[in-house]
Parts: sequence; structure tokens; C-alpha cells
Amino acid sequence: MNEAVDLAVEFAGLKLANPVFTASGTCGYADELADFIDVNKLGGFITKSITLKPRKGNPPQRGVETDSGMLNAIGLANIGVENFIAEKVPLIEKMTVPVFVNVAGSTIDEYVTVAEKLARQKAIAGIELNISCPNVSKGGITFGTDPMQVNEITSMVKKAVGEKVLMVKLSPCVTDISITARAAVEGGANALSLVNTFTAMVVDIETGRPALANKTGGLSGPAIKPIAVYLVNKVYNEVAKAANVPIMGLGGIRTASDAIEFIIAGATAVAVGTATFIDPTSAVKITEGIRKYCTRKNKSIKELVGSLQV
Amino acid sequence: MAENTTKASKGVFAATVTSNRQIGRRFYRLGLDLKGSAAEVFAGYKAGQFVQIDLSGTALPPQEAIAEELRDTSSRNIILRRPFSFADFTVKVGRISAEILYGVVGPSTVRMTTLRSGDTVSVIGPLGNGFWVPEGKKLAMLISGGIGTGPLLYLAKSLTNNYAGIEPIAFAGAKTKEDLPFEGKLDRIAQDLGFSVGEYARYGIRSQVATDDGSVGFAGLVTDCMAEWIRQNNPNPREMIIYSCGPLAMLERIAKVTTERNIDCQLSMEEMMACGIGVCQCCAVACKGANPNETIYKLCCKDGPVFDAKDLVINS
Repeated sequence: MNEAVDLAVEFAGLKLANPVFTASGTCGYADELADFIDVNKLGGFITKSITLKPRKGNPPQRGVETDSGMLNAIGLANIGVENFIAEKVPLIEKMTVPVFVNVAGSTIDEYVTVAEKLARQKAIAGIELNISCPNVSKGGITFGTDPMQVNEITSMVKKAVGEKVLMVKLSPCVTDISITARAAVEGGANALSLVNTFTAMVVDIETGRPALANKTGGLSGPAIKPIAVYLVNKVYNEVAKAANVPIMGLGGIRTASDAIEFIIAGATAVAVGTATFIDPTSAVKITEGIRKYCTRKNKSIKELVGSLQV
Repeated sequence: MAENTTKASKGVFAATVTSNRQIGRRFYRLGLDLKGSAAEVFAGYKAGQFVQIDLSGTALPPQEAIAEELRDTSSRNIILRRPFSFADFTVKVGRISAEILYGVVGPSTVRMTTLRSGDTVSVIGPLGNGFWVPEGKKLAMLISGGIGTGPLLYLAKSLTNNYAGIEPIAFAGAKTKEDLPFEGKLDRIAQDLGFSVGEYARYGIRSQVATDDGSVGFAGLVTDCMAEWIRQNNPNPREMIIYSCGPLAMLERIAKVTTERNIDCQLSMEEMMACGIGVCQCCAVACKGANPNETIYKLCCKDGPVFDAKDLVINS
């Protein structure tokens, strides 16, 4: 291959060919996007959330479009960790890029049990700890907003996953995200991903009811991007840089320039989420756009990370 | 890397707009041409499948051209694609011509009206599962409500072209005459002959229309019009199949009747979709699980949009 610049970057000990991932909940379990992209051209892959038992998810309506964004309340619909290991891990074994499995639960025991089972899978590079799902009644975001609980769950899961990379996905729905970020780092997180969706609501004015059956949902898409960039920069400056813990930046990335903003703000890697719904080839296109930018600026990803001039 | 030998069954393609014709107060027909690899991948398109069209970059018409009740929502900055089934589909040499029947109901379809011949739009497809024809059928009843007629028009064509042993008959309902998405005038003579809708008559298919307010055709619900026809003609339930697309309340009524009488029935469901390719999981449709009282969620985009009515959990 004749490439002008090398987009390779190291992320929590993992060697990535480029910094672009597909975000959890937007790219399936493994091969769902195969009709559209070669997932091995990505920097890495993050599966949808896996829980101990299968979950059927929330009743419809589960999604609604908003100005420059959307709300979703899927409710962690998934096949459960046993089915995931039996049916999806063999597909992941064929992938050549690092794969994170997003893990969710309603008790610490559940998180630990699922993480232990997944840690035994050689094909899995790491766990993304979902303590920030806004769409379930128990667990999820309630773990992610209390720094004591963030610390406890992170250290328990870290013990369970051993050498595998533990990435903690942070909720933006907190007063000071650096407090939860620090709690995760002190608990042993090897990486942080931020941000998850913002809890939000759409009202159907004809019926006078919320548009979603779950009442609230998580806001994603371009609408949240400037807030997400700010929060990545804040966590980078106040926690991650000093602790040498890399950030996976996400929240409304639709174009290469969006992704580059996150990297300059402090993200070592980025994840493309809602944009994949609009164009399943988005993540690959964004990678190519980053390549052009790096060529034009004659800079490596490593040089760009946290290079914000203030 | 090993050569990928499996041919993609779907993809993201550029389609060329060939026409965009207004056929009623709020209905249009959009013509699209698919060429090259798009034409190859779409060659197997089945009635009831759909495409996701990106209209986020399409211009809004001038404010005064937007119906007053749509002005608030139409100014919204949309990001998601919208799903549409083809109302007509023709494989030609080296290209495919398709038509979408659409109603102007929100920010995307308002934008859609400004597409002009020669414009390019991004389409993802073909997506989902279309209608299918079980063995031993001699009569196919096509029941539509409002804009739900779209996929049934192409189904009518496919049945006519490919199933000589099946007689299709169509029923189209709406609130008023203005809400029927047809180009022809729905004149009295055609109605008396049993060929109310020109779009079906062109395939030699008999049709009736029904309006809630009685402004044209049968006065009442299209499902009552259908039931009346069944009473009069008494077809063998085992030899018939009902295909339907339209508002949920109508589909639920049809599912209830066909399940009770053990008539084969396929319904094209609609649920809010973000991706259309099975990854966002927004478009959950309540279906019967393995146990009698268990409800599971299937995805409208991937497991449907056409479902066997017997598999659905219907609210009574």
C-alpha cells in the first residue's frame, strides 16, 4: 500500500492502524456492516452492549429524530453473553482489528460475571464498561454518575478482566465529568470513552405524551458534538493527560473534521456512532479524511492528540 | 487480504432522479434510475422491500409553498434517511427504473418535492424482506390505506407478470377522496366496471376504493369494503392471501380478521427507523415468541417490513 502518512496510533497498549472505531450500539455484534465496509479497515470495533442474560429491550417507539440528532431508548436489547460467545465470538475471531465488547448490567456481580467470561476469549482486546446507559431502570447510568460506585465497579471489573484493556464509558449527565473520570482511572481503567448520550425527551404535542415509550432517551448525533468535544478536552486536561490514560472520543462525529476536533481536544482514538446510521460507510470515509488532513498538515496522530493551542 | 468473493446483497448507491410528478394535493411520484453496480445489486428487488433515501442535503421549497401545518416541522434540520418502497420497478438494459409514491407529511418529504430530473440522491438498498407467495393461492387481495398503496402497486405488477394462476384484486382506502394517492380521476364508469383505480387497471386488476367520508367509492373503512366483497364472493380461505400496507389501526383490524378465519395474510409494517440495516434496533415490532404468551421484538427493517400476520402481537 502506498500511503502518504501513517495513521497508526497506540491506544492503551493496543496498536491501531488508525484511530477510528465504530461506536457501541451502532455497528452490531461483529459482521453486520460487512455488506458496506471492510471492518478490518477500521482502527477497531466496539460491539453493542452485552448483558448476562438476553434482553428483549424496550417496547416501541424506541427512536425519534431531533434537530441535528436523534433520541434512542433501545433498552440494551441483546442476545446475552452466552449466546454472544457461542455465535458472535467466532466471527470476531476472523477480524484482524482490536475488538472491544461493551458490557452492561444491573448489579456489580453481573458486570463482573460477564467481564470474566469475555476475558477468557482470546479474540477480544478489551471491555468497554457501559456505566452510562440512560435507558434502563436499573444499573447503567446510576453506576456512572456516583464516583464511589464508578470506582468500585471499575476496580472489580478490572480484577475480572486481568490483562485485557478496560475502557470505561462515561456519562455526560454529571455535574463534573472529571470527578467520574478520576474515579474510573483510580479504579484501574486503562482507557476512558466519552461521551455516552445525553438523557433527553421529545414531547408529541398531539398526544401530549413523550414520543418514546421509555419516556426519555439518549440524545446523539451532530447536536451533541460541541459539548462532547468540550468534555473530552476537560477530561484530557484535568485527568487523562497526567494519568497517561487514553481517551476514546465520541459524540456526534459525522465527518473527518469532526473526528480531528476530538483528537486535537485530547482524544487518542474516536468512535463513529449515529453517522453510521446515516451512511454505513461513514467510519471508513472519516479515516480517509483524517489521512488527507494528516498528509496536508504533515502530522502524525500522536502529534495531534491534545495539541489544542490555547 | 483474501479476496471477498461473496457479492454484496445491498449497498450505498447514487440514484438519478428522472421525474418528480405531483399527482394530487399532497402526493407525488418520484422516478429514479439505478445504473452500474446499483442496477446489478437491485436486480433482485422484491415488492415490499425498501430503500433508505438521504434527503438531508435536499433543499426546502420556499416557505409559502409549504402547507401551513407542515411549516414548523419542515424547518427541522434532519439527519436520518427515510424508508420508501418502490411503487414501480422495471429492469431495463443496463439500468433499472423505479418509482416511489410519496405523500408530503414531514420535513423529509417536503424536501423531496424539490428534487428535479437530473438530481442525484443517495439510496441504501435493497433492504428488508418483501412479500412472498405461498403455494396453492388463487386469489390475492391487496388492501391499502392512504400512502400504503405504494408497495402494493408494484406487488400487483409482480403478481400479474409472474403468477398467472393468481387473480389479484385491490382495495384502497383513505379518509377522503383527496387522500387517495392516485393519478386518475376515479370516474364513475370505471367504478361501475369494478376498475376504480387506473394504476391497477393497467395490469388488468380490478379494484375498489373506500373513503371514510364517502366522497368517492364505498362509504366506510376499506376493511369493511373488503369484508363485504368476501361475503358476496365467498372465496375459499385456503386459496386466498391478503397483502396489506397502511395505517397500524387498519393492519391490526386485518390481522385480527385473517387470524380468526385462518386466512394467509402478510402485512407491511412501519416503525420509526434510523439505520434501516438492523444495527440501530429502533424499529422494534412486537411478535409472538416460542411460548404462547411470550412477546419478542423483531426488527421492522431486517425481519420485516413484511410480516406474516400470524407472527405479530396485535393489540385488540
